[in-house]
Amino acid sequence: MSEHGHDHHDHHEHGHDHGDDGHHHPLPASEAELRTRALEALLVEKGLVSTDAIDAVIDLYVNDVGPQNGARVVARAWTDPDYRERLLRDGSSAIHEMGYGGEEGHTMVVAENTPDVHNVIVCTLCSCYPWPVLGLPPTWYKSAPYRARVVAEPRAVLAEFGLDLPDETEVRVWDSTAEVRYIVLPMRPEGTEGLSADELAELVTRDSMIGTGLPKAPATA
Amino acid sequence: MSAAADPILTELELPRSNGELVFEEPWQARALGMGVVTMRALGVGVGEWRDALATAIAEHGYDSDEDPAAAYYTAWITALERLLAERGVSA
Repeated sequence: MSEHGHDHHDHHEHGHDHGDDGHHHPLPASEAELRTRALEALLVEKGLVSTDAIDAVIDLYVNDVGPQNGARVVARAWTDPDYRERLLRDGSSAIHEMGYGGEEGHTMVVAENTPDVHNVIVCTLCSCYPWPVLGLPPTWYKSAPYRARVVAEPRAVLAEFGLDLPDETEVRVWDSTAEVRYIVLPMRPEGTEGLSADELAELVTRDSMIGTGLPKAPATA
Repeated sequence: MSAAADPILTELELPRSNGELVFEEPWQARALGMGVVTMRALGVGVGEWRDALATAIAEHGYDSDEDPAAAYYTAWITALERLLAERGVSA
């Protein structure tokens, strides 16, 4: 079972927990969807926004900035032992020190991977996620199968992500709550001794900070 | 600019137990992107936006059969429509 008890408030189960892939049944466009489309058309017509600008914001929030923030935190921890110590002792403060988060009122806890322990994060009840450092959660993170199975059979789930861990490696699953968010500090890849923090950050993937992946290997020169 | 530093987004998650920045359907991401871009274009402050959103959420009400993200972004669209109307931007 996960390491931490839940203190979830009034999250009720979302209405999408029946599928096995987190996808929705194909319904006709909802009223809200139609209103959204109409509003976008209006705003574009009035010249207030462009579709490209909206796409850029979505990309930024969904794909880019979040994981990059976390990647910078990880890279600094790899290169600055004092920072690493602060990060593991008080994740919230150390992450805030980098300019991320700090206003959300959750505690950030950093789980460090070692040769003996591999950490992975989940929110079993809904989709709590360290978004100030990782951005928006991937679809699978909030899917019912991931949420249930990563607790029950973490090795099998990680193997499906392509992560085959040695039998002797302990897997720890951290169950996020509204108040406490976890992020994984992955191990620094081999062969990166000469890299700067910026170069190292390029190797840190979103999934490596969730625990369902590893950092990328350095490009061979 | 970063997601974490954007006051609009940092404010938004705060008061909502089910207001996690999670999208159940693509239109919700478009609603978010559209809101952020529009608020910047119109110079809508975080406080005004939060008030408008809170009002729209209260009006929208609660239905246990409705997906929380759908409810949230529906209210978001309502608030955005209203702010635009107040500024004379409407169809």
